[in-house]
Amino acid sequence: PFFYSLCLYASMREMTQSWPPPLTAIHTPCKTEPSKFPFPTKVSIVPAV
Amino acid sequence: HRVRKRRSAEEDIEVAYAPLASLDQRQSYKDDFNAEYDEYRQLHARVESITRRFTQLDARCRKLVPGTKEYQKVQEEVLKEYKKMKQHNPNYHEEKQRCEYLHNKLAHIKRLIADFDQRRAQTWC
Repeated sequence: PFFYSLCLYASMREMTQSWPPPLTAIHTPCKTEPSKFPFPTKVSIVPAV
Repeated sequence: HRVRKRRSAEEDIEVAYAPLASLDQRQSYKDDFNAEYDEYRQLHARVESITRRFTQLDARCRKLVPGTKEYQKVQEEVLKEYKKMKQHNPNYHEEKQRCEYLHNKLAHIKRLIADFDQRRAQTWC
Protein backbone atom coordinates (compact mmCIF):
# COMPACT_ATOMS: atom_id res chain seq x y z
CA PRO A 1 0.00 0.00 0.00
CA PHE A 2 1.02 3.57 -0.69
CA PHE A 3 1.08 4.69 2.97
CA TYR A 4 3.17 1.70 3.90
CA SER A 5 5.84 2.48 1.28
CA LEU A 6 5.78 6.16 2.21
CA CYS A 7 6.45 5.34 5.88
CA LEU A 8 9.20 2.98 4.89
CA TYR A 9 10.79 5.48 2.54
CA ALA A 10 10.68 8.27 5.14
CA SER A 11 12.04 6.12 7.93
CA MET A 12 14.87 4.77 5.79
CA ARG A 13 15.84 8.23 4.58
CA GLU A 14 15.90 9.47 8.13
CA MET A 15 17.74 6.51 9.60
CA THR A 16 20.45 6.16 6.99
CA GLN A 17 21.62 9.77 6.86
CA SER A 18 25.38 9.84 6.84
CA TRP A 19 26.89 10.26 10.28
CA PRO A 20 30.34 11.81 10.69
CA PRO A 21 33.02 10.03 12.71
CA PRO A 22 33.35 11.28 16.30
CA LEU A 23 35.62 14.15 17.19
CA THR A 24 38.73 13.09 19.04
CA ALA A 25 39.59 14.58 22.42
CA ILE A 26 42.01 17.46 22.78
CA HIS A 27 45.18 15.55 23.53
CA THR A 28 47.76 18.26 23.11
CA PRO A 29 48.85 19.42 26.51
CA CYS A 30 49.43 23.13 26.73
CA LYS A 31 53.08 23.37 25.87
CA THR A 32 55.36 25.30 28.10
CA GLU A 33 57.51 27.93 26.51
CA PRO A 34 59.48 26.20 23.79
CA SER A 35 63.19 26.63 23.57
CA LYS A 36 64.05 29.62 21.50
CA PHE A 37 67.26 28.03 20.38
CA PRO A 38 66.54 24.42 19.62
CA PHE A 39 69.56 22.28 18.96
CA PRO A 40 69.79 21.59 15.28
CA THR A 41 69.15 18.02 14.31
CA LYS A 42 72.01 16.09 12.85
CA VAL A 43 72.29 16.65 9.15
CA SER A 44 73.82 13.86 7.20
CA ILE A 45 75.86 15.05 4.34
CA VAL A 46 75.26 12.99 1.27
CA PRO A 47 78.05 13.37 -1.24
CA ALA A 48 76.91 14.43 -4.63
CA VAL A 49 77.06 11.67 -7.18
CA HIS B 1 13.38 49.73 9.51
CA ARG B 2 15.72 46.86 9.96
CA VAL B 3 14.47 43.37 10.54
CA ARG B 4 16.48 41.58 13.17
CA LYS B 5 17.32 38.07 12.04
CA ARG B 6 17.26 35.33 14.62
CA ARG B 7 20.70 33.84 15.16
CA SER B 8 21.27 30.21 14.31
CA ALA B 9 22.82 27.77 16.79
CA GLU B 10 26.10 27.93 14.80
CA GLU B 11 26.17 31.71 15.06
CA ASP B 12 25.51 31.50 18.80
CA ILE B 13 28.51 29.23 19.18
CA GLU B 14 30.73 31.61 17.23
CA VAL B 15 29.60 34.53 19.36
CA ALA B 16 30.17 32.60 22.60
CA TYR B 17 33.61 31.39 21.51
CA ALA B 18 35.68 34.09 19.88
CA PRO B 19 39.27 33.45 18.73
CA LEU B 20 41.65 32.81 21.62
CA ALA B 21 43.88 35.53 22.96
CA SER B 22 45.49 34.09 26.10
CA LEU B 23 46.62 30.90 27.77
CA ASP B 24 44.01 31.32 30.51
CA GLN B 25 41.34 31.53 27.87
CA ARG B 26 42.78 28.42 26.22
CA GLN B 27 42.42 26.50 29.48
CA SER B 28 38.87 27.73 29.93
CA TYR B 29 37.91 26.66 26.39
CA LYS B 30 39.53 23.28 26.95
CA ASP B 31 37.60 22.85 30.22
CA ASP B 32 34.36 23.64 28.38
CA PHE B 33 35.27 21.07 25.72
CA ASN B 34 36.02 18.38 28.30
CA ALA B 35 32.86 19.14 30.30
CA GLU B 36 30.65 18.06 27.38
CA TYR B 37 32.91 15.61 25.60
CA ASP B 38 31.72 12.47 27.44
CA GLU B 39 28.07 13.26 26.81
CA TYR B 40 28.90 13.90 23.15
CA ARG B 41 30.73 10.57 22.77
CA GLN B 42 27.90 8.59 24.37
CA LEU B 43 25.27 10.20 22.16
CA HIS B 44 27.46 9.80 19.10
CA ALA B 45 27.99 6.09 19.74
CA ARG B 46 24.24 5.52 20.19
CA VAL B 47 23.28 7.31 16.98
CA GLU B 48 26.13 5.62 15.12
CA SER B 49 25.05 2.10 16.06
CA ILE B 50 21.43 2.79 15.05
CA THR B 51 22.51 4.39 11.77
CA ARG B 52 24.77 1.40 11.03
CA ARG B 53 21.95 -1.08 11.63
CA PHE B 54 19.61 0.74 9.24
CA THR B 55 22.29 1.29 6.63
CA GLN B 56 22.85 -2.50 6.60
CA LEU B 57 19.13 -3.14 6.15
CA ASP B 58 18.98 -0.51 3.41
CA ALA B 59 21.89 -2.14 1.61
CA ARG B 60 20.08 -5.51 1.75
CA CYS B 61 16.93 -3.91 0.30
CA ARG B 62 18.85 -2.34 -2.55
CA LYS B 63 20.23 -5.71 -3.65
CA LEU B 64 16.75 -7.18 -4.03
CA VAL B 65 14.21 -6.76 -6.78
CA PRO B 66 11.15 -4.71 -5.69
CA GLY B 67 7.94 -6.69 -5.63
CA THR B 68 9.57 -10.01 -4.82
CA LYS B 69 8.72 -11.92 -1.65
CA GLU B 70 12.22 -11.54 -0.30
CA TYR B 71 12.12 -7.77 -0.84
CA GLN B 72 8.81 -7.59 1.00
CA LYS B 73 10.29 -9.61 3.85
CA VAL B 74 13.23 -7.26 4.29
CA GLN B 75 10.92 -4.23 4.13
CA GLU B 76 8.79 -5.68 6.89
CA GLU B 77 11.94 -6.27 8.89
CA VAL B 78 12.91 -2.61 8.40
CA LEU B 79 9.57 -1.36 9.68
CA LYS B 80 9.68 -3.76 12.62
CA GLU B 81 13.18 -2.57 13.45
CA TYR B 82 12.10 1.06 13.12
CA LYS B 83 9.18 0.58 15.51
CA LYS B 84 11.45 -1.26 17.95
CA MET B 85 14.01 1.53 17.76
CA LYS B 86 11.32 4.17 18.46
CA GLN B 87 10.10 2.16 21.41
CA HIS B 88 13.54 1.77 22.96
CA ASN B 89 14.75 5.27 22.07
CA PRO B 90 11.72 7.56 22.28
CA ASN B 91 14.02 10.60 22.41
CA TYR B 92 16.12 9.55 19.42
CA HIS B 93 15.46 12.77 17.47
CA GLU B 94 16.26 15.05 20.38
CA GLU B 95 19.40 13.05 21.14
CA LYS B 96 20.53 13.20 17.54
CA GLN B 97 19.96 16.95 17.40
CA ARG B 98 21.77 17.47 20.70
CA CYS B 99 24.67 15.40 19.38
CA GLU B 100 24.84 17.47 16.18
CA TYR B 101 24.83 20.68 18.23
CA LEU B 102 27.59 19.36 20.50
CA HIS B 103 29.59 18.20 17.48
CA ASN B 104 29.51 21.71 15.98
CA LYS B 105 30.28 23.38 19.27
CA LEU B 106 33.16 21.09 20.24
CA ALA B 107 34.60 21.15 16.72
CA HIS B 108 34.59 24.97 16.83
CA ILE B 109 36.34 25.08 20.22
CA LYS B 110 38.87 22.51 19.07
CA ARG B 111 39.60 24.49 15.90
CA LEU B 112 40.15 27.68 17.90
CA ILE B 113 42.56 25.91 20.23
CA ALA B 114 44.46 24.42 17.29
CA ASP B 115 44.67 27.86 15.61
CA PHE B 116 45.92 29.40 18.84
CA ASP B 117 48.57 26.69 19.28
CA GLN B 118 49.69 27.16 15.70
CA ARG B 119 49.99 30.92 16.11
CA ARG B 120 52.00 30.44 19.30
CA ALA B 121 54.28 27.90 17.63
CA GLN B 122 54.93 30.33 14.77
CA THR B 123 55.72 33.13 17.23
CA TRP B 124 58.39 31.04 18.93
CA CYS B 125 60.06 29.85 15.74
